[in-house]
Amino acid sequence: MTTTAPAPPRETSLDWVKKNLFRNWWSGLISVILLPLSLYLAYRALRFLFVTGQWDAVRVNLTLFMQGTFSRDEQWRLISQIMIFALAFGIGLGTNSAASHDRAQDAGLDVERGTIAGTLARMWSLVAFIGLLLFFATTDDMGNLINPFLFVGGGLVMGAVGYQARRLPRRFRNVGWLLTMTFLVIGFQIVSGFDAGGWVPLGIIFGVSAYSIAPVDRFEASWLRGALRFAAALIVVLAIRAVYAAVDTPGIGWDDWSGLHLTLMVSAIAIVLAFPLGLLLALARRSTLPALRIMATAYIEVIRGVPLITLLFMGQFILGFVVPQDVTLSAITRAIAVMTFFSAAYIAEIVRGGLQALPKGQTEAGQALGLAPPPIMRRIVLPQALTAVIPAMVGQFISLFKDSSLLSIIAVLEFLGVRKIIHAQEAFRGVGIAETLVFVAIGYWAFAFAMSRESQRLERRLRVSR
Amino acid sequence: MTTETQEPQRRNLARPPFYRDVRVIRVVSQLLAVLVVFAIAFWLVNNLISNMNRLGISTSFDFLFGPTNTAIPYHGTFDPRSPVWQMALVGIKNTFLAGFFGVILASVMGLLVGISRLSDNWLVARLATFYVELFRNIPPLVIIIFFGFAVFTFGPFPIFSESWELKVPGSVNNFLIINNDRWGIPGFTATGALVGFWAILIFGVIVAAYVWLRRTKHFERTGQPHHRVLWFTGVVLASLVLAYFLTGQPVDMSWPVISENRRRVDGGFIANWGWMSVTFALGLYTASHLGEIIRGSILAVHQGQSEAGNALALSAFQRYRFVILPQAMRIALPPTINQYLNLVKNTSLGTAVGYAEITALTKTSVGNGRPAFQSFIIVMAVYLTFSLSISLVLNIVNRRLELESR
Repeated sequence: MTTTAPAPPRETSLDWVKKNLFRNWWSGLISVILLPLSLYLAYRALRFLFVTGQWDAVRVNLTLFMQGTFSRDEQWRLISQIMIFALAFGIGLGTNSAASHDRAQDAGLDVERGTIAGTLARMWSLVAFIGLLLFFATTDDMGNLINPFLFVGGGLVMGAVGYQARRLPRRFRNVGWLLTMTFLVIGFQIVSGFDAGGWVPLGIIFGVSAYSIAPVDRFEASWLRGALRFAAALIVVLAIRAVYAAVDTPGIGWDDWSGLHLTLMVSAIAIVLAFPLGLLLALARRSTLPALRIMATAYIEVIRGVPLITLLFMGQFILGFVVPQDVTLSAITRAIAVMTFFSAAYIAEIVRGGLQALPKGQTEAGQALGLAPPPIMRRIVLPQALTAVIPAMVGQFISLFKDSSLLSIIAVLEFLGVRKIIHAQEAFRGVGIAETLVFVAIGYWAFAFAMSRESQRLERRLRVSR
Repeated sequence: MTTETQEPQRRNLARPPFYRDVRVIRVVSQLLAVLVVFAIAFWLVNNLISNMNRLGISTSFDFLFGPTNTAIPYHGTFDPRSPVWQMALVGIKNTFLAGFFGVILASVMGLLVGISRLSDNWLVARLATFYVELFRNIPPLVIIIFFGFAVFTFGPFPIFSESWELKVPGSVNNFLIINNDRWGIPGFTATGALVGFWAILIFGVIVAAYVWLRRTKHFERTGQPHHRVLWFTGVVLASLVLAYFLTGQPVDMSWPVISENRRRVDGGFIANWGWMSVTFALGLYTASHLGEIIRGSILAVHQGQSEAGNALALSAFQRYRFVILPQAMRIALPPTINQYLNLVKNTSLGTAVGYAEITALTKTSVGNGRPAFQSFIIVMAVYLTFSLSISLVLNIVNRRLELESR
């Protein structure tokens, strides 16, 4: 005979209120003060959003916010570019998460596979941003909305489509990287023109494809297989080249980028370019060679010790002078260069943290196996150290994304800087100042919030897998 | 026999070929690295100098002693004919004014938010989370510009000539003047020489510090409560009163007044919109980061500590004050100082709202034809000196904290 404990009384909503709002007298007092206050503030915020706000300055200029002053006849390039980049990003993310999922399964861990709905739910802030864009469309200016909507919504959809690449069978997983790289290059060339850069972009695709179609197990490789793969990569490149030749159009450089597009691109390009530099700096700072260590430390400390805006001014006023006379750098190129050198110092510190956190036994195990220092670094230390710092790296990307707003001070018209043109328009001189700022803030917030959520999730997963 | 067979091997071990000798590799690789870096630096500097010479731009620092030729906004007493280095000093002062008050605001808000996020009260915790997620995901520049233009310049406050003047009840003195440009609050003004006043005050602070140490020793010796904060404050206040009366009351209250032509605020402490935007925006922004740091540090204190406090029958407040917070502060110190440094560096964004801090003034001065390279080198040196000295102090403090914890 078993006696079951009486079921605990069901918690009523009154109980919940008692427990969470009126636990004791001071908690109750705070609740009584804060509840009406926060309700009133929420009411004022909603009233501003839906009733009193003069959103015309935003509504009329949505396209300007998204793509800035880029030539209206050519804006299909930007829209296709953002979609192709989103696709590449989705493929990269999808295949990567599938690979990590497989690894977890092999290790006997029970991990749930991500779904599109789940991903969209996690990125609710971006979905809300699209909702806001829709909200700004009144019935009579739907035409105004198509471009911005294609820009943000289309990007999200393409990202979701690319994410489906995770359904690729395991043995084709490496193709994911090839597709990512190919779409990245194509995305750039949509704007810069397919002839820009000559064979360099194709060389990148070739290199990546030759590497990614490479045998999974090096020791199984025979020269015949190698030759076949080499030929396959060559055929891929030649096919792309043939397509390029067919659609050859002159392009536009990145100097005409502006708006949210520029904000996203500058931060992405800067972080990608800064990563190898930061890695080298981190290794140099940890090196036993004093000359390398001192130089790396000096660079890192100087860059981290001064505000980004002074460096941007330096870039604006000086960078043109330190290159030979006949080289001209556009404002955006200089800004990207400065942001790259700036974030390299921060990435170096992040990577250094990862290297320091790795137990010394890992290096010693490599030494015990008789490995030389470079293979120990490349095959044992770096893979673990870099995986551990991925969340911090995302954090650095978020702060770089926010810092890109500083470009508006040096007269580069990114997402925030576009306001200057808008409020120079006859109709909006001194009108809707708060409204445009709130819109810009919501835009930054939506992206930064989605990314920070993603990095928190990554952090949790890494902690679990450790 | 054995020695003969081992001899050549040992010689091989001792002398690998020079290109595999670690000692040689180390020296050569360092030399190479230094050479490459210096070659690049030389090339860049060479380009810079030749380009500057070609365009006839001065490469000297003489401009520092030439006249400024511009007025500084909200600094009516600044003489435009005074040399550039004095303008730079004004900029440095303003940078620190915004940084100092920003740090105070951020610390208070950050502590509040960090503790609120862990509150039992659902509403408090939710509001704190909302605050953190809102502010830390918006660029500080956007917040600064929002304050500068949406709150102050184009905001709900009246224009200068129609300022709100809030009187002290039953008197004609204003205790607050508010318009969209400047805010005034009561302040102090000197009516005589202040040397003696400051001397006595500083002496008082030294005495107070001595009393603090004495009380601490007393506590360590006898275990009686030290009340050192009370003692310290008491001694400082006493010396303040003493200084005031001994030197013949050289300080007087000064009330903010709008001038006859209604274009100036005379008297009191006056805050201009640029300073307020930078301070409030950076204070609120940094507070969201500090809140997260403090919350994380409180969570990082081992659960057993709180339970031990419970077992000793400490109240919730006492547990926080004497058990958890002291340990959490130790964890929170390095990232907090980092945030303070970030805040001071971020005051350079005052450029966007015309706040006369060092970067904005330098930008104006470069726009007026001063050499950009030298000007910004000086600005960078100022920030760098500050950052590096703070991190030096932080390292020392960290080392001491570590030792204490053993």
